[in-house]
Amino acid sequence: MRTKLTKLALGAALALAPALAAAEGYKGLPRTFLWNPNFNAVVDTSEYAGDGPFTIGFSNASQGDGWLGTFYHSVQYGVSQNIDKIKRFIVTDANGDPTKQISDIQDLLEQDIDLLLVNPATADALDPMLGRTMRRGVPVVTVARRVESDTSFVSFVTASDTALARMSATWMAETLGGEGRVVLLPGLAGASPAEMRLQAAKEVFSQFPGIEIVDTQYTSWSPANGRQIMAAIIQREGAENIDGVWADSGLQGSGSVEAFIGAGVTGADIPPHTGGDLNGMYQLAHENGFPFAGIDYTPSIGEAAVNLSVDVLEGTPVPQRLDVNFQVVISPGHETRSISADVMLPNYVAMDRPGELIMGSGIPDYNPNTFSVDLPN
Amino acid sequence: MAFTNTNRPTRRLPLDPSLIVVALLLAAVVAVGFALSDRFGTTRNFMNVLEQAAALGFASLGQALVVIVGGIDLSIGAVVTASTVFMAGVVDLHPALMIPMIFGTLLFGAAIGFLNGFAIIKTGVHPLIVTLGTASILNGTVLIYTLQPTGGVPFWFEEFAYGRLGVIPISGLVMLLCFAVVWFLLRYSKTGRAFYAVGGSPEAARLNGIQSNRIILMAYSAGGFFAALSGTYFVSRTGVGDPRIGDPMTLASITPVILGGLVLGGGKGNILGVLLGVFLISLISNLLNYMNVSTFIQWVIQGLIIIFAVSIYVQKCKKL
Repeated sequence: MRTKLTKLALGAALALAPALAAAEGYKGLPRTFLWNPNFNAVVDTSEYAGDGPFTIGFSNASQGDGWLGTFYHSVQYGVSQNIDKIKRFIVTDANGDPTKQISDIQDLLEQDIDLLLVNPATADALDPMLGRTMRRGVPVVTVARRVESDTSFVSFVTASDTALARMSATWMAETLGGEGRVVLLPGLAGASPAEMRLQAAKEVFSQFPGIEIVDTQYTSWSPANGRQIMAAIIQREGAENIDGVWADSGLQGSGSVEAFIGAGVTGADIPPHTGGDLNGMYQLAHENGFPFAGIDYTPSIGEAAVNLSVDVLEGTPVPQRLDVNFQVVISPGHETRSISADVMLPNYVAMDRPGELIMGSGIPDYNPNTFSVDLPN
Repeated sequence: MAFTNTNRPTRRLPLDPSLIVVALLLAAVVAVGFALSDRFGTTRNFMNVLEQAAALGFASLGQALVVIVGGIDLSIGAVVTASTVFMAGVVDLHPALMIPMIFGTLLFGAAIGFLNGFAIIKTGVHPLIVTLGTASILNGTVLIYTLQPTGGVPFWFEEFAYGRLGVIPISGLVMLLCFAVVWFLLRYSKTGRAFYAVGGSPEAARLNGIQSNRIILMAYSAGGFFAALSGTYFVSRTGVGDPRIGDPMTLASITPVILGGLVLGGGKGNILGVLLGVFLISLISNLLNYMNVSTFIQWVIQGLIIIFAVSIYVQKCKKL
């Protein structure tokens, strides 16, 4: 494959357009693209160009939590928007097991797919198989997680774990004035998004000597785990000795807030929290009025990845890394020196929608329980 | 290993009802596959399935040996994981050690299995508890060492998982060879038959002059050895040591054992049934990928087949 490096080429900006369509609040180019100090390669995809309609194989990692379920819906929505260009859409689900996912991809390749769209179960384990897929002449688009080798995929579609964690951690540190005892609630131990976010947050907190990390507990992105773990920490430390809770998602963040409420700490007395994604988290923050910053890891990357896949098959140049916008949501009066709101909390929270709704799907009037679209075959 | 003077088997293994049941189910899955997809019945697809089945095959073979002596090994998945991290971690730092580390990893697995057996014999605690404890220790140790996939192996080592001899996958061939050797030893060697004797009744076996403890140690060591071989295959397939890769393998390794008609509790069963069980599970997963149905349906179908196979097997046994 021929790739060429360009300095923020116009082509990349044009290729980003589908990602912008779903944006609310901040509507500019993704900040992770603007502020990325590295160059972004634009990939010449003419060797994959065909007449269509196309067969796309989608190797999904899992539908193991609410975010992943919404992400899958976003992928399906993307396919339905391109139904005239896609004749078959074959889906496999690895249930979080990278070794099953390798077998799934082998099975997809035997069904003569034109392109492989993949959400890798782990960042590294899929590298050899995706490299083999590319060498076989089948283009690979990875979404949510990339693999190490640049030669193992054409393009990577993401919403940047590091950026969202740096911004939420910076907001927390500045909200506390650089002084205080903070609990870290990352997601699933060993899962690359969780580890990347945790590492990025620690980078930030380490620059504030007055911030003390009281405890770091993995939660598997489960509200129940978040609540149970935080209840134990409150029991041990005392609620008054916890100044802030950094969670990489509202999935467990909402559990933490409920633990404080369960311990008798309510309203604005609840310490500052971070964590987006889950409407229930936004609702808790809005109802109680504690300082809050939510940044969604937007599941609309699914739709963006399908659009980009069609571009690849039509021979349109695509960026090697496609960043999708995310919104910074902050409770009123709690913006900080570095972190401003794209949308204020009251304008973002969906009080009339279910708490389990995952935000940022990009699907109009999205309801996970009733979602249905027309798909090929 | 000692061999008897006569080659007369103690049981008519090929006529086991479990073999017939699982073989019929296998045939049914293949027939459905042929009917539903014109791409399913290709040599290339069947060779892919043989390649994909290798990890489950190794782990199930190890589990089967432990089950035959009346035990169970819930540390199989943890040994798989620890093996991958151990191998990839060391080889990443010292690539020249790739070949010695293959043997080192297999030895490591066997040693963990030996310790399992030793603890079970010395403490008298049920194997379920001991191996669960071992799994917890290994998993915890691995996660202390690394939370994310780590290490690496030379590019050429991928050939074990992906390489072909003609059209036949090397890993699948190694798995078939392992099953053949174990089947032969269980059927024709004195030690092999002692496995069944110990599983049937350790006390009676002891009275017949069989060193039960030695057999139990051998079974658990073999269980660990094959779990490590499964881990070695995963390192070859993924290129890294993954601290969570073995998680599904413990229960997965028991499924073909049950499907193959081995009696949990020990003393009975044919290792070839386990091999057919491995193929059945792998083919179901493969076929359902061709049918474009969700993993959740795969679980349901797998569960139904296990219950169906075992119930037929039990009924057939009553008639015999």
